[in-house]
Amino acid sequence: MFGQGLLKGLAITWKELFTRKVTVQYPEERLPLPARFHGRFELDVDKCIACGLCASACPNKVIQMERAKVGKRQYLTKYVMRIEYCMFCGFCVEACNKDALRFTHIINMNQYFRDKVRLVLVDRPAPEVIPEEEPAEAPEGRAAKPKAGAAGKGKAPEGEG
Amino acid sequence: MGENLFTGIAAWMRTALLDIGTPPLLSEFIVLLVKLLAVIIFVSLNVLWLVYMERKVCAYIQCRIGPNRVGPKGLLQTVADVLKLLGKEIIVPRRVDKIVYLAAPLLVFVPPMMAFAVIPWGNGMAPVEMNIGIFYVLAVASLSTLIFWMGGWSSYNKYSLVGGMRVVAQMVSYELPLVLALLGVVMLAGTLNINDIVNAQRQVWFVFAQPLAFLIYLTAGISEVNRVPFDLVEGESEIIAGPYTEYSGMAYAMYMLAEYANMMVVACMATIMFLGGWLAPFGWTFLPSWFWFFIKVYALIFLFMWIRWTYPRIRVDQLMGFGWKVLVPLSLANIFVTGVGMYVYRAIGW
Repeated sequence: MFGQGLLKGLAITWKELFTRKVTVQYPEERLPLPARFHGRFELDVDKCIACGLCASACPNKVIQMERAKVGKRQYLTKYVMRIEYCMFCGFCVEACNKDALRFTHIINMNQYFRDKVRLVLVDRPAPEVIPEEEPAEAPEGRAAKPKAGAAGKGKAPEGEG
Repeated sequence: MGENLFTGIAAWMRTALLDIGTPPLLSEFIVLLVKLLAVIIFVSLNVLWLVYMERKVCAYIQCRIGPNRVGPKGLLQTVADVLKLLGKEIIVPRRVDKIVYLAAPLLVFVPPMMAFAVIPWGNGMAPVEMNIGIFYVLAVASLSTLIFWMGGWSSYNKYSLVGGMRVVAQMVSYELPLVLALLGVVMLAGTLNINDIVNAQRQVWFVFAQPLAFLIYLTAGISEVNRVPFDLVEGESEIIAGPYTEYSGMAYAMYMLAEYANMMVVACMATIMFLGGWLAPFGWTFLPSWFWFFIKVYALIFLFMWIRWTYPRIRVDQLMGFGWKVLVPLSLANIFVTGVGMYVYRAIGW
C-alpha cells in the first residue's frame, strides 16, 4: 500500500521520542574512565628512588629530574615533566620499578599559558645531612621495606648503614 | 472557567472607553488595535517557543536532550539566541539591491501576521470578523512567495537566486492543491466565513467528511512553509540556505521566525477547516474554547515537527511531479466527489 513506508518511518521516530537519551551532561556527569586510562601523571615521592629509569625510557625526553646525594642515597629534588611534549605512551610508568610513577584519571591539564603546562611533580630542596636525620629517615625505609618486599633493594644498603 | 476571559476583557474595554466619553467609532478602533496587538505579541511569543520546541522534539527523536542550559529546562535558549543575533551586524554585501534586500526581512512577518488577524482563537475571538475569511487568508498567505523571492533576487548570489526560484516554483505549484483541498470544505459548509465554517462542524469535523482533502492540505501546507520533506528552498546540502544565504544577524532571524509563524498559520487553518476550530471534541467543554484551539494547533505543529525529523528531502523533479501529477488531480477528484456526494444527499433529501 502506498504510504506504508512513511507510516513506518513515523512509527520509528515516535518510538525514539521515548527511548532513554544517550547524552552525558559532561561537566556534571562523566562516563567512567577505564582503570588503565592515561591521564595526568602522579609521583609517589616516598616510593621514588630517583633511579632515572623513567627519564631514560621516555622517547620524547619529557622527564627532567634533578637529584642530590643525601647521605648514601639518591634524593630527588626536582621532577619536571614537559607535558607539552608528552604523548602519554606510558613507557615511563612501565619502566618504574617502584610503582612510584602512575597515571591518574585527571584529564583537564589545559592551561592559559604555555609555561604553566609544564608539570612540576617534585620541587624541594635537598635536606641537610644531619646525622640524626639519617636514622630518623631510616626506620621509615625499614617500615616500608617489608611491605615492598624484595623490591626494596635500593633502600637496603641505607638501612644497613 | 475562563471561557469568556478574553472576550470579557474586550467587552470591558469597550464599555470603559464608552464610559469615559470616547466616540463609539474611536473606541471600536482602539479595541481592535489592542486585539491585533495582543495577537501579534501572542504569535511572537509562540514563535520563540516553537523554535525551542522544534529543537527539543528534534533532540528527543535523535536520542539527545536538547537545549537545557539557558533558563529552566533551557526555556530561554531562543531568547538568548535572538539577543545574540540582535547584537550582530547585518552584513550588506556589495552589489546587492540594497532597498529590496533590506526590505525583505522587514516584510516577511507581514503576511502571517495579516493572516492571524482573522483567525478565531476561540469562540468569538477573531480579532476581525470577515465574510470571506478563508479567501482573505489564502490571498494574504501567498504573498510570502513574493517576499522570499525579493530576498533571493536582491542578494546577488547564485544560491539565493536558485533558492528564490525554488520558493516561487514550489509555493505556486502547491498553492493550487492547497486551495482546491480547502474548496471541498467550503462546498460542504457553503460559506467562506471562518466562524460559520467552524460552527458547521458541530456535528462532525470535516476531517471525517473530507479525509482526502485533509491529507492533501497537510502535504501542501508543509510544502507551503518549506519544511522537510519539501525544504528544497533552503536545502542546506544543496544551496546553503536558499534565499537567506546572504542574510546575517537579525535579518536572518526574521526569516527563521517568520517561517515558524507561517507554520502556525497553516496549522491554524487546518484546525479551523478540518479539526473543528475551537469546538470541544465529545462535548468536553470543561476546557475553554481557546484552549481547545490551542491544543489542536499544537498537535498539528507537533505533527509537522515529527514529519520534519523523520523524512529525508525529496528531489526537485519529484516535488514538482508530486505536486502537479498527484496532488492537483487528487484535489480536483475530491471536489468532484464532494459535489456528486452533496447532490446525491440532497436528492435523497437528508
